[in-house]
Amino acid sequence: MKLATRIRRSARVARTGVHLWSIYKIPAFARRCLFRPPRPLDATHHRAAQALLRCALDLRGVIIKMCQAVATRADVFPPPFIETLKQCHDAVPPKPFSQIAAVVESELGKPLDALFVEFEEVPLASASLAQVHRARLRDGRQVAVKVQYPDIEAIVHTDLVNMRRACAVYEFFDPQPLELLPLLGELTAHIEMELDFRREADCADRVRAIFASEGGVIVPQIYREWSSRRVLTMELVDGIKITDLAAIQAAGLDPAEVVQNLMHVFVRMILAAGFFQADPHPGNLFVRSNQDIVVMDFGLSKELPEGFGLGLFELMFSMMTLNEAAMIRAFKALGFETRSGEDDTFLLIARRMMSRSDSGRFEGEFTEEMTNELFEAIRENPVVRVPSDFVLVGRVFSLLSGIAHTLGHRANVLEAMGAAT
Amino acid sequence: MKVTNSSDPRRFSPEELLSDGNYTEPLFANGVRCHGGFDADGTYRSPRTLVRGPAIEAWQAQLAQEGAELIEIPVALMPPQYPNADQVLLLVNESVRDPIVRALTIISIVEGFGAIVRDIKVPDLEKLVVEPIDGTALAHLRGGLLEAHARDEAGYRDQGGHKQMWEAARDLAFENPRIPPDVLMRMMGRRGRQKKRQPLFPQIDAGLERMLTTLVQVLVVEVFAEGTFEWGKTILGDPEVSAAPGPAGKMVSYIQSDEKPHVEYLRTVLSELRARTIRDQRGGTIDGRRLIDGYLHRTLRVITRNRRAEQREDTRASLADAAKGARDPVGLMERFDQLESDWTPPVKTGFEPREPDSARL
Repeated sequence: MKLATRIRRSARVARTGVHLWSIYKIPAFARRCLFRPPRPLDATHHRAAQALLRCALDLRGVIIKMCQAVATRADVFPPPFIETLKQCHDAVPPKPFSQIAAVVESELGKPLDALFVEFEEVPLASASLAQVHRARLRDGRQVAVKVQYPDIEAIVHTDLVNMRRACAVYEFFDPQPLELLPLLGELTAHIEMELDFRREADCADRVRAIFASEGGVIVPQIYREWSSRRVLTMELVDGIKITDLAAIQAAGLDPAEVVQNLMHVFVRMILAAGFFQADPHPGNLFVRSNQDIVVMDFGLSKELPEGFGLGLFELMFSMMTLNEAAMIRAFKALGFETRSGEDDTFLLIARRMMSRSDSGRFEGEFTEEMTNELFEAIRENPVVRVPSDFVLVGRVFSLLSGIAHTLGHRANVLEAMGAAT
Repeated sequence: MKVTNSSDPRRFSPEELLSDGNYTEPLFANGVRCHGGFDADGTYRSPRTLVRGPAIEAWQAQLAQEGAELIEIPVALMPPQYPNADQVLLLVNESVRDPIVRALTIISIVEGFGAIVRDIKVPDLEKLVVEPIDGTALAHLRGGLLEAHARDEAGYRDQGGHKQMWEAARDLAFENPRIPPDVLMRMMGRRGRQKKRQPLFPQIDAGLERMLTTLVQVLVVEVFAEGTFEWGKTILGDPEVSAAPGPAGKMVSYIQSDEKPHVEYLRTVLSELRARTIRDQRGGTIDGRRLIDGYLHRTLRVITRNRRAEQREDTRASLADAAKGARDPVGLMERFDQLESDWTPPVKTGFEPREPDSARL
């Protein structure tokens, strides 16, 4: 990457950092000088989130990734950040085809036409780190080719250094920091995983193996001969987008069964197998006319520590069965820690979760609202350690709940485990 | 909650059906506060039975007065526990403990899943049943019976239920063992994607069909659990297997006594419906006996045949895996197989349909 580009990115990040600092600190300082009480921060949060979004859309790369990550951390960031930065999921324009073709040729060591008989110039999708093109191999197989943006690794490196500096400065000046550095460390780990497509290929194989004996799940085959660290060539799999209710019904499928099967797939991966695709947004999930669920994009796949799935199950189950004592034990078993080291905080969170439903029942479901409620309770109470895996799983279940509701049904975890049969 | 007229000996409020007696000592299971407790003389009293127990007796007496019989699931249909107590002893003596710990963990989870009865949507039975249901167990399903059952199984608020009691029995007996990480994978087993079950009686209200399917399944599971309790008491009360034979074995006996009201209210509810007439959606009626027997027959066949065979096969595979760590895995499995209880499911369930529905079963 050119020095000028690096300087421009660093300056842009620094400018945004100073802007964020000033919109929070200057008014607060002024009010303190005038002996006025602090104002509610909702409007400020909104302005800050907008500034971050502008910076992300300008610089793209890892800044987009960071904003996407922030949008999933309702346990840490206030609602205006979550709402505003959600837009980062859909706002990434593609790169010119010439740049993409150059990456493919350099990575696979042959001219494009020696590798593929067809390669569509307009991408099927574009994301923060890569874009996907439809192509056809010389033997006739239809494939999807995921290609990393040129220079993305250098951009990521620069952005991470910039962000680390910005966070360090912030934490130095702020007496009660939001503990941004650990979050950044988590983000760095995730991005490093996503930048290695060979790892993604391994993850796809691993998820396929989880369902090898029972079927019902399609994970596209990876064509390793046409893949590398930056290029991933996989079987082109068709299907109906999981949230396309009209198409699902037109295919004669029962949306309730689609939801049930989708939940079964993720419950099996997360709670039972301890390895899961951690990004089940609607663009990555399809259903076929024979009811098979197609799962794509294994860039963000995660292995859970031994016993974590059972611990998560215990936490979810205790919430669903209104057993606050069991919920407290599960919080602790999963590695949650309170500032005081006492159970009172967990009890408060448990009671808040229990009282949020009018019917007093969860009916086996973790909705986005419930997940948000839990994260808000955690944010407002002095929980000093929330396992990052828990956050990732919480996000997965709330995404699944969103899909279920789009199809007019509930994402019932207990039913997905076969409890009701 | 709505409080009904408690002057009628067969009508109870939810509060009454959920009420507890005064215990001298609460029950602690391996340090976890659980439901129920002990009288001054040390007798264990099940939770939420102060009114629920006499209420069920009153409904059953009324049923008998009406000349209706109480459903009996034939004991001969109950599959033996696999692995049986002798097989467990053999495995433990060979230091193969994981399969037993796994089995006990799965039992605790399955017990906890009993709380799904709380989510059963009870349709408007006053409209769907031709005869009056006032003062029956049926009329109290949503009014405390299902909730009490759910609380018993999975615990409630600050008290543990059967799930936690089974966990305590396991942890006492095996001294807080490491839980095999594949428990949930094994539990979900081979079943994979669930096929949508076709309604057995499509002419009846869909909500009633769902409710009956679930209640019948739960009743059969509860009745068959009697075998699991006997097995649990035997192995966890055996000093050769258990590090705490007294407390661990007793814990299972407490669970066993708590389950009796579940079996009794479920068979009462289903017997009440069996003695009544159900309105279908086409303007006609259907005999309650035909309906309930149909569900019982289907469920008993599935559980005693397909599911029993699948579970046995899966369990044996996991046992064979675990036995690989023993000194003589092949010899161990041979001896293990020789100890298996001989059992073939009876040809008849005792609830065979007498009408054309048999073609669909």
